[in-house]
Parts: sequence; structure tokens; C-alpha cells
Amino acid sequence: MDEVKPTKVIDARGSFCPGPLMELIKAYKQGKVGDVISVYSTDNGTKKDAPEWIKKSGNELIGIFDRSGYFEIVMRKSK
Amino acid sequence: MAINRKRVVIVGDGAAGTIMANKLRFHSTPEEIEIDVFGNSERHYFKPDGVQIPFGFKDPANSFKPTQSLFNYGINYLKANIRKFDLENSTVTCEKNRTFKYDYLIIATGDRFSTEELPGYDKAASHFYSLEASMELRQKLRDFKGGKIVIGQASIPIQCPPAPYEFTFQLDQYLKLKGIRDKTEIHYIYPLNRVFTIPNVSDFIERLMEERGIVIHKMFNVDSLDPMGKKINSLEGETLDYDLLILVPPHSGQKIITENGLADNSGYIAVDRNHLNYKDYDNVFAIGDATDLPISKAGATAHFQSEYLANRISNEVNGNAYFEAYNGDVACTTITGGNEAITLFFSYTRPPKANFESKADYFLKWTSSDTYFSAMLRGIM
Ligand SMILES: Cc1cc2nc3c(=O)[nH]c(=O)nc-3n(C[C@H](O)[C@H](O)[C@H](O)COP(=O)(O)OP(=O)(O)OC[C@H]3O[C@@H](n4cnc5c(N)ncnc54)[C@H](O)[C@@H]3O)c2cc1C
Repeated sequence: MDEVKPTKVIDARGSFCPGPLMELIKAYKQGKVGDVISVYSTDNGTKKDAPEWIKKSGNELIGIFDRSGYFEIVMRKSK
Repeated sequence: MAINRKRVVIVGDGAAGTIMANKLRFHSTPEEIEIDVFGNSERHYFKPDGVQIPFGFKDPANSFKPTQSLFNYGINYLKANIRKFDLENSTVTCEKNRTFKYDYLIIATGDRFSTEELPGYDKAASHFYSLEASMELRQKLRDFKGGKIVIGQASIPIQCPPAPYEFTFQLDQYLKLKGIRDKTEIHYIYPLNRVFTIPNVSDFIERLMEERGIVIHKMFNVDSLDPMGKKINSLEGETLDYDLLILVPPHSGQKIITENGLADNSGYIAVDRNHLNYKDYDNVFAIGDATDLPISKAGATAHFQSEYLANRISNEVNGNAYFEAYNGDVACTTITGGNEAITLFFSYTRPPKANFESKADYFLKWTSSDTYFSAMLRGIM
């Protein structure tokens, strides 16, 4: 997946739940269908919450990737 | 005027600005520190009463006081709107182009309801986040004969995150007292996959909601409103119709903060989480709802922040070392209905626990406007 280039990157490192998820939802609202949105987070709750929201909202979870000292969640806006 | 006398300018006359000024006055003499507060409110309203006023559980006459009357002796209160913040030259400017110099600046401008983000909000929704709105809702609830009530919040963050569930429990109680609970469906919507931000508190609240027959809709992020058709749509594709919609409005920081380059479009000021200073400015701080800190926007937050900052500034002015830090302390008592309440204590590193309801906590909450006006705001507590 490393090849998929995000349209928008949100750096929410250091921000607590639900901050990163709310940032992701904001970017989703502002984006257009097909956009790839990536969020960097250090908050473990986001690892569970964000994929659940992506699924429930009918979007595509491209992946969750461990980076050094943080993780990255990448989604595609499908609707 | 003493040679080394410092001037502390506080912008904002709500809970944070008032507690800050009063605490700082207790910690320093007028010879050491001049305190000037700039604010634009006619009256100081105790917002937590908004969860009781719509039901007639509290008399609104006791929920506000003239703003000016709440500052302790030795504080200059100036009724003015600050328009410009010039951090390089350490000045603030009000609408009549009068400029004031400061040695320390504390921004306590709170937040605002950004209903422009949600078209149709004013027509579709009621709320309880201001005195005026609570009074309007009181009338609507008096006229309500049964039907479907949808209740929740338009977005995160909001002031006092527990207030929507606190209101919902009392709505349940009110409808029972009125004898129309069996004719009413209560639907609770929440943006996350639970009913409150903090998981263990959420489990507790969810159980209470289920016991009371409140229908829960998780992961309901409000996308649009249809005031004519009385429908609310979520980003996740769910639509609910309603007879009465009670929706906490979207919040953001003040426009003036963004316009002065002190924050991004959200309007919330990024401050150091332990020292509350803005960027590299050792003499510029933000407190209360105006910050982007990841903690509850609550009067109690402002109270703990003011305690830290009053100690820090007064020590600094007197040449003393001060090594304490603000550790994210918040305390919050919320009513759970049936004359019971729970109290949550938390900090950056200590999550709250909700494990029991208590009548003593309810009493504490019920009398909190008296404690607030006579002791907390005054800086005594
Ligand atoms: C329904 C409800 C229930 C709540 N329950 C609780 C509770 O149980 N416990 C708790 O701790 N908290 C509770 N809160 C939250 C609490 O009331 C707020 O967090 C608190 O009021 C924030 O204080 P503040 O001073 O930061 O902001 P505010 O009280 O909003 O004050 C900001 C002030 O700054 C002024 N201002 C803004 N811009 C300017 C400018 N440019 N120049 C001059 N002045 C300016 C404004 O007019 C305002 O007076 C509740 C809130 C609500 C709505």
C-alpha cells in the first residue's frame, strides 16, 4: 500500500481520542469521492475507533501501518 | 505606582477570566500587579443550570449575576471588545482603537456556537446551551404532548461533554413526572461508537440509558438537517425523523482569535499543555474553553488552570522560582436522574471512573450555582 499516495495527511500525533477520529471525519466531509486520507496518531483508542467508523460510514480502509513511534491509518472516501 | 509593578491583562469575562482575575488578586497585592479584565458580557450566566431550567427544576432568576459585581476589590473591569492582539509589541486594542500595554496576557475568550456549519440548524433544533435557548426549550417542553424526541450533539468538541446525557436523564424523569413518558420515544445520537468519549464512563452511562428505555444511535455524525420534513441525517447514512430535536450546536473558537493569527480555522488556541503558554511567549497564556487542550471544556478546568497560573505569575513577579505544572485536572459532577449524580475526577494521565451514583453528589450539583457565585468565581475555592 505504501504506493498509494494520500490526497490529505492529518498529523494528529499527541492528540487524544476522539481528536484524531474527529480530524479524520472533518477531512472526509471536506474531501471528494476517491480521495485518500491518512491520519497519523499516537492514541491507541483511535486504532479501534477509526476503522470502525470507516466501515460504518461505508468507506474503504486501506490499512493501518505501524511507523516509528506512531501509526498511520489510511482510508479512501468511497461515497 | 511601584517601579516594578506589572500589568496583567485578561481578555474575557466568563468563568475563566473571572476566576483567574480573582485568584490572582488573592495571590498578589495591587502594588505588585495591576489586573485589567476586558469583557463584553452584560451578565454572568451559570451555564450548568441549563440542564435543569428547561424542565422547570430550577428558577432561572438565580442563575445569573451582573458581570461587574463578580470581580473582587482591586481589579479593573473594562467593558470592551478586544479586536487586535499584537504579541510582538505586547498590546491589545479594543473597538474604539484604544491600545493597552501588558506585561502578561491571558486569553480567556471561550468559544462560540458555529451554527453556520450546519444549515437549517436555527429552524430545526432546540438546545439548552444558553439561557435564552433553555427558556425557549422550556416552553416547547411544556407544550409537548408526546412523540419522538431526538437528542444529541452536532459535533465534538462541545462545552461540558457530559451535559447531553445529563440532560437526557432528566428529560426521562421530567416526562415520567408529566405522565407522558409512555407516549414518548427518546433517541440519543452520538458521534462515536459509544455514548461518551471515555470508554469506562460510556459503559456506565449506556447501561443507565438502556434501563430507562432510551434508544441509542452510535456513530451518528450529523451531516444535514431537514427542518421542513423534520429529519436529521448522519454522515454514516442513517436518517431519523423527530417531533422535537434537541441538538447541542457545533462549537468553535472565537473568530477574532483566528483573524489575529492565534489559531487555525477551528479558532482554538494551541497552548503548552502543562504551562498554558502560547508558542514561545512566556508572558502569553490561554485558559478555559478558548484552548485546544484535549480535556473537557469545563468551568472546573478553568478553575484548576487559574490556580496554577495565579501561583505562577505572582511568584514570577516576586522573583520566586515556581516549578509546578498544570496536569490536566478536571472534576465534573453530572446528574443521572432520580435525584442521583456521579462525580468524575480526571487529569491528562488519570482517566475518570464512573462506578456509583450518589444523592450527596446530586445535592452538590443542585446547590452548585450558590457555591459557584459565592466561592468558586470569587477565587476562594
Ligand atoms: C449546559 C452546560 C452545562 C455545563 N455544565 C458544566 C458543569 O457541570 N461543570 C463545569 O465545570 N462546566 C460546565 N459547563 C461548561 C462551562 O460553563 C464552560 O466551560 C465555562 O463557562 C467556560 O468558561 P470560559 O470563561 O472559558 O468561557 P465563557 O464562559 O464562554 O467566557 C468567555 C467570555 O469572553 C468574552 N469574550 C469573547 N471574546 C471577547 C473579546 N474579543 N473581547 C472581550 N471579551 C470577549 C465573552 O463575551 C465571554 O463572556 C457547562 C456548559 C454548558 C453549556
